[in-house]
Amino acid sequence: MTTSTMPCLNTEHLANYAVLGAFLAILIYFSVAAPGFLSADNLFNLVVNNVVLLAIVALGMTIVISSGGIDLSVGISLDMAAMVFVMLLAAGMSGGISVAGGIAAAGVVGMLNAILITRLRISPFLATLGILFIGQSVQRLATQGGQPIYLTRAEYAGTFNAIARSTFLGIPTPVWVMAALAIAVWVLLHRSVFGRYVRALGAQPGVAWYSGIRVPRNTAMVYILCAVLCGVSGIILSSTVRSYVPLSGDGYLLDAIGATFIGTTLSAERRPSVIGTIMGVLLLGVMRNGLLLIGWNFYWQQVGIGVLVFAVLAISFGLKGRAD
Amino acid sequence: MPDPSARRPVVEMRGISKTYGPVKALTDADLTIHEGSIHGLVGANGAGKSTIIKILAGIVRPTAGTILVNGKEVTHLTPSSVEQLGVHFIHQDRLLVPTATIGEAIFLRHEPRIGPFVNHRAMNRQADELLKRYFDLTLPPGKLVRELTTAQQKIVQITRALAQKARVLVLDEPTAALVKREVDSLFGVLRRLRDDGIAVVFISHYMSEIEELCDAVTVMRNGTVVGVVDPRETPIDRIVAMMINRDMAEMYPPRKATIGAPMLEVGGLTLEGAFRDISLDVRAGEIVGLTGLLGSGVKELVQCLFGLKAPDSGTIRIEGEVPPLRSPIHAVSARVAMLPEDRRAHGVAMGLSVAENISLASLGRYARSGLVSRRREAEVVDGLIRELSIKTPNRTNLVRNLSGGNQQKVAIAKWLSCQSRVYILDEPTVAVDVGAKVEIYTLLNRLAAEGAAILLMSSELEELVGMCDRTLVIYRGEVTHEFARGGVDTDQLLAAASGAQPARRKEMA
Amino acid sequence: MTMTDTAPRAARSGLTRKNLGAWAIRLGALAMFAAILIYFAATARGFANPYNIMNVVEQSAILGLLAFGMSVVLIGGGSEVQTGGIDLSLAANTGLCAAVFANCMQAGVPEAAAIAAALVTGMVIGLLNALAVVRLHILPLLATLAVMNIAAGLELTVTQNTVISVSSPFLMGLAMGSFLGISSLAWVFIVFSALMVWGVHFSRTGLRLYAVGGHREAARASGLNVGRYVTGTYVFAGLCAGLASVLIVARLSSSTPGTGQLLLSVLAASLLGTVFSRRFIPTMGGTILSVLFIGFLANGFQLSGVSSYWVNGVQGALILLVVAVTSFARPSEG
Repeated sequence: MTTSTMPCLNTEHLANYAVLGAFLAILIYFSVAAPGFLSADNLFNLVVNNVVLLAIVALGMTIVISSGGIDLSVGISLDMAAMVFVMLLAAGMSGGISVAGGIAAAGVVGMLNAILITRLRISPFLATLGILFIGQSVQRLATQGGQPIYLTRAEYAGTFNAIARSTFLGIPTPVWVMAALAIAVWVLLHRSVFGRYVRALGAQPGVAWYSGIRVPRNTAMVYILCAVLCGVSGIILSSTVRSYVPLSGDGYLLDAIGATFIGTTLSAERRPSVIGTIMGVLLLGVMRNGLLLIGWNFYWQQVGIGVLVFAVLAISFGLKGRAD
Repeated sequence: MPDPSARRPVVEMRGISKTYGPVKALTDADLTIHEGSIHGLVGANGAGKSTIIKILAGIVRPTAGTILVNGKEVTHLTPSSVEQLGVHFIHQDRLLVPTATIGEAIFLRHEPRIGPFVNHRAMNRQADELLKRYFDLTLPPGKLVRELTTAQQKIVQITRALAQKARVLVLDEPTAALVKREVDSLFGVLRRLRDDGIAVVFISHYMSEIEELCDAVTVMRNGTVVGVVDPRETPIDRIVAMMINRDMAEMYPPRKATIGAPMLEVGGLTLEGAFRDISLDVRAGEIVGLTGLLGSGVKELVQCLFGLKAPDSGTIRIEGEVPPLRSPIHAVSARVAMLPEDRRAHGVAMGLSVAENISLASLGRYARSGLVSRRREAEVVDGLIRELSIKTPNRTNLVRNLSGGNQQKVAIAKWLSCQSRVYILDEPTVAVDVGAKVEIYTLLNRLAAEGAAILLMSSELEELVGMCDRTLVIYRGEVTHEFARGGVDTDQLLAAASGAQPARRKEMA
Repeated sequence: MTMTDTAPRAARSGLTRKNLGAWAIRLGALAMFAAILIYFAATARGFANPYNIMNVVEQSAILGLLAFGMSVVLIGGGSEVQTGGIDLSLAANTGLCAAVFANCMQAGVPEAAAIAAALVTGMVIGLLNALAVVRLHILPLLATLAVMNIAAGLELTVTQNTVISVSSPFLMGLAMGSFLGISSLAWVFIVFSALMVWGVHFSRTGLRLYAVGGHREAARASGLNVGRYVTGTYVFAGLCAGLASVLIVARLSSSTPGTGQLLLSVLAASLLGTVFSRRFIPTMGGTILSVLFIGFLANGFQLSGVSSYWVNGVQGALILLVVAVTSFARPSEG
């Protein structure tokens, strides 16, 4: 029995374009109202600071949400990678080894999530929540209460610069990394066999199981991939600030979820997508930057972003619920 | 026993019709329930039984017709208003709160209290009394609903209705998953209730129980009421004949079966609490039917064959090998296909496209180094869409938008893409319109002709009679009958499945 | 027609073995609780001191209030954790209420009105959660996560991330006063606990709330207005946030940023509480026990000189342990 009725279809399509429209509207508004918004300097700054790190984390979150789960511990993966990276550098290890160590640390977080979810059958929400809190504790303990580790001496500058400050064809390396990862995740999610499995898990896990898909293995991969992506972000972050600042990952969780769900409004079936997520990241980044430029203080920004994410969730869930 | 005609009717449904778009679920159906009687309601799947009950329960609104309760017309029924009129429903799915105690479950919304405090002690005491009075049953007062057996949960459901002074009790398939002793006890209770003047509506597939218990039976077929008879005077065969639709004999395409080697061999399979010592085989080119009532163990058997459940003992051989069927992953790699009963949850993903569904179990075929070749997928998928005449504007259309029959074809296409050899079908044509049914039957014939082995589990008996080379009947956990094509009709199948015929199984060659 | 009874029995879910397991878990939890208390009494200086014990109970008042609110949301939302009820905004809500309260007091608003403002703020945020979950069908975890950030942001705008000092006779009395040898804060906890035990376990509303969370369809079939109950849980949680905020301001003589840190302890208390109940669902008694447990745990760590940073991690690990263990012990529902 088909379910489409005209009014339903109309509101869905409206919502698809609503976010796009809102993005353009916001861009135009800030171009006019905020002094210096359109300056090359600001746009550059915007992209590098507000967008790159969030984008990579959001890519990981997109994979997880596509599979029907959620990862509340993205900040921990980010922080663990940064912590191990910086600590290895401080201990005298080479840049390459330190990066590898950081990625591995993030991978461990992902594996812990995977074990809790697939072996112990704990729901993704509770499992990643537990890891989130344990991770916060670990960081506080390792740094005596949250003391950052600064590595400002020249001997470390080489590695940090190579990661954060070098450019290629005039574009900073982190942007290239983000672009490369975006393409890679796009291929993974939208063109690969694994991506099909992930989408099947998100659409109807029962069907995936009955079709002979290795549900536990693919679920584990999802969480490990997400953690590794967050780890990359953590390494770039710490390279940018030349230090490891504990618990900096906390701020990315809501924005990553928000960006992913903003992305879902682009598709009629409310599916997460890489392009949608990038759009969401841009929207959030522009919002933050623009609000700052027109003088909203940091706190009102947080409220504004919170309200925006709330509205997006309302659209994404509210209309989908009616269509079912 | 009081004279039936002297009893007043407590529920009268007259001329009830219900249409869903072009589909006529009910046409001008009448149902009259007298007080102090046990009234059976029978009909094959899709005959309209559940629709008319849902209308009485206030879950579905009738397109036409009137309903009278205690002589007064009622309109706009809702579940709560119906309960207030004294009509209580004991649903098949036990709608009880699992974490509630027995007392809490019985008295939900009618809790005894002292001032602002709920009187837990009185609640437990009253629950205890009711259980003893009606069922001669004593259960520890603090026991949780989820700790009870299925039969006990049913009893709690019924007690809840009785505590609310129900005048009409509608029981939907109450004896599924009950053993004989529990069934007898339940019948004793129902008879006592009848003698007290309560009206009981008894919906069941078990003909023997209908015969044993009911004063009157309403027989439905194809959305209409075929007749109301007294089972104490009308033999069961006649009732069953009234239920079966004989017009559809031409639906089953003829075929010549070339039977080859055994593809699926089951030996001595046992699962505690479900079935015992099952042996059967299905050969290449053969369509073997399997049927059994709810609770007979046939569902669990099918789950074991696909690796969803692990049997306690016995062997399953696929194409001569004994694969470790620990999960569907193993089944699929052993080239076993399954069309599950719950299409929405297990068969096809509604939110994915036709192409995505069809390629889901065989992505390796379309992939090169982990990437899906959309071109190759499109070729094969489009080919299958054509071959199976799947009605969809294109391959990217969501499966949700297809009709039930076409959704089922997508599921079959998924396995064709896998080149499966053994097909296990669980109620494959349920919620499928007639036209698509014929197409699916033709498909099945083709699969068999190409050498697949097909195990067809169905409760649509005409289907089994029309399609299968052999049909096995499972009754309360054991294979009790085996019929060859042409050697059985639907009445016999129904009788055998209901336990009304003595067990008779041909010797396996 | 005679039919032999060859039918297989309706599947028994291995009841006795599972029951024993469930008993073992509850006893084990209690035993662990007792063991830890005894350990601290033996090794931590001053732990067993009656003043110290009273201090812990007093400190538990705030956590307890919030844990009650969270437990009510958990009860009404059901144990199916994917879609189950939860309120991640509770701690941020408390911070916001405290900020509103302190600001009002500082601005010269009469005390009663300021308290009312705090309570109303809490309930409005709760209503926002309810709207998102019940009307807009947003998953509770996502909805309350978004609201948490809105509340946290609003709190920062009200306080500008500074401490707002407040003091009044009433607040002093609340923080330091005592009656019959028991401090006011402890009284608040005791009275509130009694009310909660009545409200959840001995009132019709409480029983029906359990039904709503236990099996939504069954509750609906019995005629309960599920939406109204769920809305009520979120608004009640908001009320608890408002009440707790008054206590916090009284205790600290100010509103300070960082109330959000409470979230973990609140979640830990409510989730851990399930292990003490026979049915493995949140109960008031279980919540009280866990609140005290967490209080004594933190206190013991402090007195033993163990860094407080361990506490969070231990709580997180405990949550995971409890969830894993209870999901194994709970018989699988067919």
